Amino acid sequence: MSSISQTDWSETLKFWPRHNEALYRRLESKHSWLEHSGDGAPVDPLENQMVLNIGPQHPATHGVLRCVVQLDGETIQKCVLDIGYLHRGVEKIAENKTYQEFMPYTDRMDYLSPYSNNVAWCLAVEKLAAIEVPERAQWIRMMMSELARISSHLLWMGVGLMDAGAVSVFLWAFQFREDIYTIFDEVTGARLTVSHARIGGVATDLNDTGINLITDFVQRLPAAITGWENLLNRNRIWIDRNVGIGVMTGEEVVARGMTGPNLRGSGVAYDIRHFEPYLKYNEVDFNIPIRTEGDALARYFVRLDEMKESIKIIRQCLEKLKTVKGPVRTDDAKRAYPNKDEVYYSMEGLIHDFMYTDTGVAPPKGAAVYHAIEAPKGELGFYLESDGTGNPWRAKMNSPSFTNLQGLEEMMVGAHMGDMVILIGTVDPVLGEADK
Amino acid sequence: MAVADNPIKAPKTLPFSFVPQEPETAVANNPHAKASTQVADIVKALESELGDAVHETVVYAGEHTVRVARDRIEDACRFLKEALGFLYLVDIGGSDRFTEDDRYEVFYNLVNITEGKRIRLKVRVDESDMTVRTVTGVYPAANWNERECWDMFGISFEGHPDMRRMFMPEDFEYYPLRKEFPLLGVPGSLPLPPQAPTGTLTPDPFPAAHGHKPPKSFEEVKIEEDKG
Repeated sequence: MSSISQTDWSETLKFWPRHNEALYRRLESKHSWLEHSGDGAPVDPLENQMVLNIGPQHPATHGVLRCVVQLDGETIQKCVLDIGYLHRGVEKIAENKTYQEFMPYTDRMDYLSPYSNNVAWCLAVEKLAAIEVPERAQWIRMMMSELARISSHLLWMGVGLMDAGAVSVFLWAFQFREDIYTIFDEVTGARLTVSHARIGGVATDLNDTGINLITDFVQRLPAAITGWENLLNRNRIWIDRNVGIGVMTGEEVVARGMTGPNLRGSGVAYDIRHFEPYLKYNEVDFNIPIRTEGDALARYFVRLDEMKESIKIIRQCLEKLKTVKGPVRTDDAKRAYPNKDEVYYSMEGLIHDFMYTDTGVAPPKGAAVYHAIEAPKGELGFYLESDGTGNPWRAKMNSPSFTNLQGLEEMMVGAHMGDMVILIGTVDPVLGEADK
Repeated sequence: MAVADNPIKAPKTLPFSFVPQEPETAVANNPHAKASTQVADIVKALESELGDAVHETVVYAGEHTVRVARDRIEDACRFLKEALGFLYLVDIGGSDRFTEDDRYEVFYNLVNITEGKRIRLKVRVDESDMTVRTVTGVYPAANWNERECWDMFGISFEGHPDMRRMFMPEDFEYYPLRKEFPLLGVPGSLPLPPQAPTGTLTPDPFPAAHGHKPPKSFEEVKIEEDKG
């Protein structure tokens, strides 16, 4: 029998009544509110005003984002974003997992660039437990994270263009995304949920097929990007849809805490790869694209240029991987998984593997660190607290989509209804990550 | 010779709750420590500004965490922002130090973009008075993060312009990241939509665990035929 004693649900049949009530109160929409309360107050006689719910189930909201907007004619007077429809409580889950066990969950946060999330989590744990990562593993991580960045930006571009009405770019972008998925499949064994990074290194080394696929990919992509630039950079429709839309000044984006291309599109030079270099970013040569206009078009240019810079980084990684040989995981059974050969053919290896799965790495009691990486969408950081056991005491995720969405609320005010879809696209939110 | 005389052979009793400890040396030079977190001079400036309100400074992996008095957090943030250029608020989050005094903690992760510095502030909150002064007046970016903290821990931020829940619906009556909240959730706390078009709300998110078998959406709903 169920432990639920309540059988009459007619009172609560209205789904989440208090939630919606609070949302509309926040909107302070006199129109919807007065009509609702029925106290005889005059409603908008020309019926210019209107409250519109867009989402959570709407293709243009890039997931399950719910925008409640108050319109005056075609202008958005106020916008309230309602997120949490994809809330799975990953922070709570993390507290009940070992550090290594939680890593696959990070794939499901920003599912457009799972490799970056794996790396972000592992780096945070490695900082917490002071684990060194072999050099080859660092180069592999870096290269794959940049591929994930390209993949994420390609999706943003394809979907962004489709939001504006152009379907062909979507198909071209997805051709290349398919190539990246093939690479991930070859290198990590999975297309989407890669789970390739391990604490102390990565799961497997690259084989020749993987290297060849990546080499081939970075040879073909620049020509394609040039083609897209030829089509879009002087495209009247694309420019007119984007220029002067969602303008945020440098002070505004910093005050709103926005990150990633949204910050750099407004002229703020903040990129974790330069700000506090992790992995081997201080040893490669690349630029941080910055625009000062702060509108949707500037963010488009920033993302397009970032893809080109990523190719540059991947080329340097491929070059380095020819010379940097060695293990891809720390050879310390208390800090990282042992090699599979060891596990299958030696008793100690098996015991270590078991112990690592059971307890794993146990950072000192009371330790707390924050480690951030530059994910495709901005600063992705994990704040970890340890109680000396194998499970994190607290794992707080600072997700870029969450902070960026906060800026979107501001961006929407005063915009036209027709630009709303472009604005959501330009912020590039992933709700899996924003909702945690 | 008796065994007890030999200090090497003397049996050593492990404490019951044995916790493996990392050697101190491994922590001293952390391979992932960043130059941006070396902010000893800023901590000093903060100490001279706030005086006794700075309770403690913890350094781990090169990161400085300054714990300040709960009622001075806004002053600390304003000083860091206006005098020391920490214009960018990265993150705010809570933490439940279950079984300790001053049970909850709120941390503030601040960045100085131009000088490349990062510092973390912390306040402790006791269960008897679960309020912290909001910093939305200093950093507008704190808005959603404080709401998240309220949603997850029930720490309310005094003076916050919009203290609603962030992820969970307003109808939810618990604070999920508190340590006493069960991982599987509280059955019935969050009714889900009906499983079939003609059904009622699903009060129990885990019906199979409680011996129920709700109809699948693709299944025909049996309608009692009128035999009269």
